[in-house]
Amino acid sequence: MVSFSIIIATFALYIGIAIYNKARATSDFYVASRGVPPVFNGMAIGADWMSAASFIGMAGTIMLLGYDGLAYIMGWTGGYLLLTFLLAPQLRKYGRYTVPEFIGDRFDSHTARVIAAICTIIISFTYSIGQLSGSGVVIGRLFEIDAKLGTMIGVVLIAFYAAFGGMKGITWTQVAQYLVLIIAYLIPVIFMSLQLTNSALPWLSYGELVGKMGELDRELGISEYYAPFTNGTKWQFLALMFTLMCGTAGLPHVIVRFYTVSTMKAARWSGAWALLFIGLLYLSAPAYAAFSRFILMTKIAGSAITDLPAWTKSWIDTGKLQLADSNGDGVLQWSELIISNDIVVMATPEIANLGVFVIGLVAAGAMAAALSTAGGLMIAISSSFAHDIFYRVWKPNATEKTRLSVARWSIVIATLFAGLIALNPPGAITQIVAWAFALATGTFFPALVLGVWWQRSNAQGVIAGLLVGLAVTLGYIFAAKYGGFTILGIIDTGAGVFGAAAAFLTNVIVSLATPAPSQKIQEEVLDLRYPEQMVYKDGEVWMNEDGSTKA
Amino acid sequence: MKKIDKAVADQYFRKKNRYKVIYFIIWFIVSYGCVLLAEPLSSITIMGGFPFHYFMGAQGAVVSFIILLFINAKVGDMIDKKYGIDEEQNIKLSAGKSVDH
Repeated sequence: MVSFSIIIATFALYIGIAIYNKARATSDFYVASRGVPPVFNGMAIGADWMSAASFIGMAGTIMLLGYDGLAYIMGWTGGYLLLTFLLAPQLRKYGRYTVPEFIGDRFDSHTARVIAAICTIIISFTYSIGQLSGSGVVIGRLFEIDAKLGTMIGVVLIAFYAAFGGMKGITWTQVAQYLVLIIAYLIPVIFMSLQLTNSALPWLSYGELVGKMGELDRELGISEYYAPFTNGTKWQFLALMFTLMCGTAGLPHVIVRFYTVSTMKAARWSGAWALLFIGLLYLSAPAYAAFSRFILMTKIAGSAITDLPAWTKSWIDTGKLQLADSNGDGVLQWSELIISNDIVVMATPEIANLGVFVIGLVAAGAMAAALSTAGGLMIAISSSFAHDIFYRVWKPNATEKTRLSVARWSIVIATLFAGLIALNPPGAITQIVAWAFALATGTFFPALVLGVWWQRSNAQGVIAGLLVGLAVTLGYIFAAKYGGFTILGIIDTGAGVFGAAAAFLTNVIVSLATPAPSQKIQEEVLDLRYPEQMVYKDGEVWMNEDGSTKA
Repeated sequence: MKKIDKAVADQYFRKKNRYKVIYFIIWFIVSYGCVLLAEPLSSITIMGGFPFHYFMGAQGAVVSFIILLFINAKVGDMIDKKYGIDEEQNIKLSAGKSVDH
């Protein structure tokens, strides 16, 4: 009942904000009038960014994989440097609404625009399936209903506020969602830190437990918690980290956030604030993992099989937790406890006996993470279709009203369709999310980096690069997942390395083999080197001091 | 609009790039570098129990990234100021951009 009230209260808050900010014009609908201050934009990026995979899955993944799970921590944070140094300010200066619009105008090609729009839809759609099935698990567990029914409730909520709030509604809703999810994540970590180490600063205190767990592992004769590369090769670790970093810089729904800031300077600061807010959760996840594992090892393992706490029952019923006294000695050993990484964050408040309020708060935070990311993804899908394909290519004469209604209907249809697939997801949540990152690494990252920094890159190059990158990444994912094909032990989640390499090469070779882009386009690209006030024209640089936009 | 020496504008661009190269070198060392050297680094222990490679993956790299981003934002502002870039003008100039279609 307490959990239920907390979730209802937070939902009422999000929907209230969305209604209050109900967008009226298309410019508001897509990019919130470019007036969001960097600190709040940073929080909104944080909420957009931290999905069900980060909130629900990551600590569990680290707990089970040990050091190898840290590829997610470094990958999902390190990408912000690529994004903020190489792309965000330049894309902001170019000033378009969406990523496909940048690609279409920069390369002056409708073909490139449509391919980019389709890539955006594929990436965002793949990603949103994971979010919807995540929200289904949380709602299902909480209300003790079937996860499929939970997914449907999530679909209705997302369709509602993404379609009626637009980006503006979502920006402020996401600030609220960030605050809810970070509080929900930190409270259990801090409580566990107080319980186990008598310190209110988990980040400083959990190192001691990591060391202790290494000793416990040695006594049990299993590999130490922190031993590197026990679950995959070093190359897989590096490839996964690279894929997650470049995917971060190439995800359309994250990049579009940087179109909401006022200037290149604001884009720089938004990137810095975003990583600070994101880092707060990412620095806490390994602590969460260490505390959970320590409690399970020392308090649960070793107890009599007939004397297990009540929380074990409800999780065993979900099939995500197995406790079997396989050697029949009446005592639960560590090796007899099998826990799914998806339930670690949700179950830990119960394991640590933190009370019903914290349990409800964590559920509300998990919902905030899943819904906020799904909202941003839906905006990316709808703008690709309604703006880039429908308006820019198909019906350039469409009125603003028609475009807005196409945008809203595409959100509703995409959400319903993604929800349908999420009822029977094609893989684990983290796996689906990793595929979306690999696809962004293989397609948009090379196209955008070359588009911004190399004026010689042309339409033929980018079209070939996008198609080859997409094909190589998809091909490697399928070959590694279903065919058992690997290079240096790199599995499907690290596929982006090969996609990106192929796309960069193709883009460069094809661009050089075909005519250079027009003088005007090359000048526009060189212009991105300078701040807004400096304008590059005919080989000369002009300084705009009176604010006039004409030369 | 006033014409400025292209050499000055290029100096601005090169200066910003030089800093970015330094940031990326640090970025590479704290993440990829520490992963490549994970085995030898694991014998060093800090902060009451953390093996060093684990500490870098869980905290060291992330904190370095955050610091680098804030340094970049601050240094960027300082370079802009040195070259007489006025943020008020930038806001005015970018306000109308992209609504022109």
